[in-house]
Amino acid sequence: MIDWLYTPLVEFGFMRRALVAGLALSLVAPPLGVFLTLRGMSLVGDAMAHAVLPGVAVGFLLAGFSLPAMSAGGLVAGLLVAGLAGGVSRLSGHREDSAIASFYLISLAAGVMLISLRGSSVDLTHVLFGSILAVNSTALWLIVAVSSATLVVLAAIFRILVVECLDPLFLRGQGVRGGAVHALFLGLMVLNLTAGFQTLGTLMAVGLMMLPATAARFWSSRLEGLMGLAIAIGMLSSTGGLLLSYHAGLPSGPCIILLAGAIYLVSALFGRYDSLAARWRRRVQPLLPPDAHG
Amino acid sequence: MSSILTLEALSLAQGNRLVLENIDGRFEAGSITALVGPNGAGKSTLVQGIMGMLRPIAGRVNCSVPKAHRAWLPQQLALDLSFPMSVEELVMTGCWPTHGSFRRYGPQEYRRGQAIMHRLGLQAFEHRPLGELSGGQRQRALLGRTLMQRARLLLLDEPFANVDAATVEVLIEVLRDMAADGVTILVVLHDHDQLRCLADRVLLLDRGHGTWTTPAALGELSRLGHPPHTPPPSGAAHSPTGNPA
Repeated sequence: MIDWLYTPLVEFGFMRRALVAGLALSLVAPPLGVFLTLRGMSLVGDAMAHAVLPGVAVGFLLAGFSLPAMSAGGLVAGLLVAGLAGGVSRLSGHREDSAIASFYLISLAAGVMLISLRGSSVDLTHVLFGSILAVNSTALWLIVAVSSATLVVLAAIFRILVVECLDPLFLRGQGVRGGAVHALFLGLMVLNLTAGFQTLGTLMAVGLMMLPATAARFWSSRLEGLMGLAIAIGMLSSTGGLLLSYHAGLPSGPCIILLAGAIYLVSALFGRYDSLAARWRRRVQPLLPPDAHG
Repeated sequence: MSSILTLEALSLAQGNRLVLENIDGRFEAGSITALVGPNGAGKSTLVQGIMGMLRPIAGRVNCSVPKAHRAWLPQQLALDLSFPMSVEELVMTGCWPTHGSFRRYGPQEYRRGQAIMHRLGLQAFEHRPLGELSGGQRQRALLGRTLMQRARLLLLDEPFANVDAATVEVLIEVLRDMAADGVTILVVLHDHDQLRCLADRVLLLDRGHGTWTTPAALGELSRLGHPPHTPPPSGAAHSPTGNPA
C-alpha cells in the first residue's frame, strides 16, 4: 500500500514535478472557486475555461508544444473575453454573465476555426485533457510563479472581496471602485486556468477550482473553514488523481477531477450542512413536549 | 449649530425620467429629518443623490462629511444572506474607513464591537451566521456596522419595514442617542407614530417637489385628510409600511 502511494511520487521526476504542480494549483484555485460560488458566478469559471482554450490553441499552432507560448495565448484570450464582457455589460447595463456567455462562444468558435485551418487535431488532446508527462521544469516554474502571485494578490484583496460579496453598496458608499476589484479577480481566475491546463487540460482546470469549493460548502458554514477545506480537498484530489492516473494508465486531468467529483458527491450525501443525510437527521429530531418551554 | 448638508435647487433624474426638481434644504448636525411622501415620490432617489450615487442634473449637494463617514442602510437589502459570515464579522466591517483592506482589527476594535452589539441587544447572536437572522436582527446588525463606522451622516431607507416591535424600539432609541452625539440622520418613513417618536423635521416629497414641515403639522394635515399635494387614500402618512417607494 505504502509502496503504491510512495514509490511513483518519489522515484520518477515527472511524477514529482506533476505533484508539486498539482499541490501549488490546489493552494490557490479552490479559494478562487469559493469566491466564485459565493458571488453566484459558478458557471463563469467554466465559460472562462472555454474562452481560454482558443488562445492556447493559437499559441500551440504558432510555437508548437511550448508552455510559455500556449499560456500567453490563453491568458490573452481569457483577459480579452473578460475585458470585453465587462465593458459591454457596463455600457449596456446588461448582466455580465450574458456578455461573458456571448464572448466566450465567439472566442471558442474563432479558436476552432483557426485550428481547422491549420494543424492536426491529434496533438490537441494534450491541450484538452492535460498530460502529466509534459510538466517539465519550465512548466513547473510557471505554475509555481502563478500560484505564488495569486496567493499574494488574493491575500491583498481578501477583505475587499469579502465585503463586496456581502454588500457591494457599502463599499460603493465608501468610494471603493468595485469594478476594479472585480476585474482583478477575473484576471486571477484566467491566470490560474491557463496555469492549470498543463496537468489538467483547459476544460478540466476549472474543475479543480469549483469542485473542492462546492464540496466544502457541505462541511462548513464559515469562510475560513470553506477555504481551508477546499484547499485540502484540492490537494487530496491532485495527489490521489495523479497516483490513479499512474497506476491505471489513465489521463491525469480526468482522474484528478473525477476524484474531486467523487468527494463532492460524498459531501452532498453525507456532509454536515444541507446534505441529504443532514436533512434526514433534522427530520427525525423529536419535538420538545409543550410543557418543556415553561 | 452648523449645517452638515445643504441641498441647493437640486434636481435628480432616474434614467430619462425627472424625479425631483428644485429641492432646497439645510441639515444641521444632530438633526433627525424624516423624508415622507407617497410611493414613487422620489424619497429613495433623494437618498441616492445625497450619497453621491446619482449625479444631479441641476443644482448641487454640499456635504461636509467625508464619504468614509456617510452611511446608508438601503431599503431592499443588498445583503447576500447566504454569505458565510457572523453578526460580529458584519459589525466589524464597519472598521473599513480606518482599517481598509490591510490593517488588522485590534483588541480595542473588538471591544468596541462587543459594546455596540450589547447596545443593540445582539450579544446572544454575535456568532450566528447572517442567514439565520430575522429581519429585526439583521437590521440591528446593519445599524451596528454604521455605529462601528462612526458615521456622521446616516441615511436610512424605511428601516422599520419587516422589523419586529421590540427592534423598532431599540432602533429608535439608538438613533436618538446617535443624534444627541451630533450625527445627522435622514430617514425615509411611512408610519406616523414612528415619525413622531423619531423625527425633528419633515421633508414632504410629492410629484417631484419638496415641502418642509414638522411632525406635528404633518400629523394635523393627515388627520384632516388633506396633506398638501397628496391625494388620499394613498396619502403620505398612511401609505402601508414595507411597500417599495
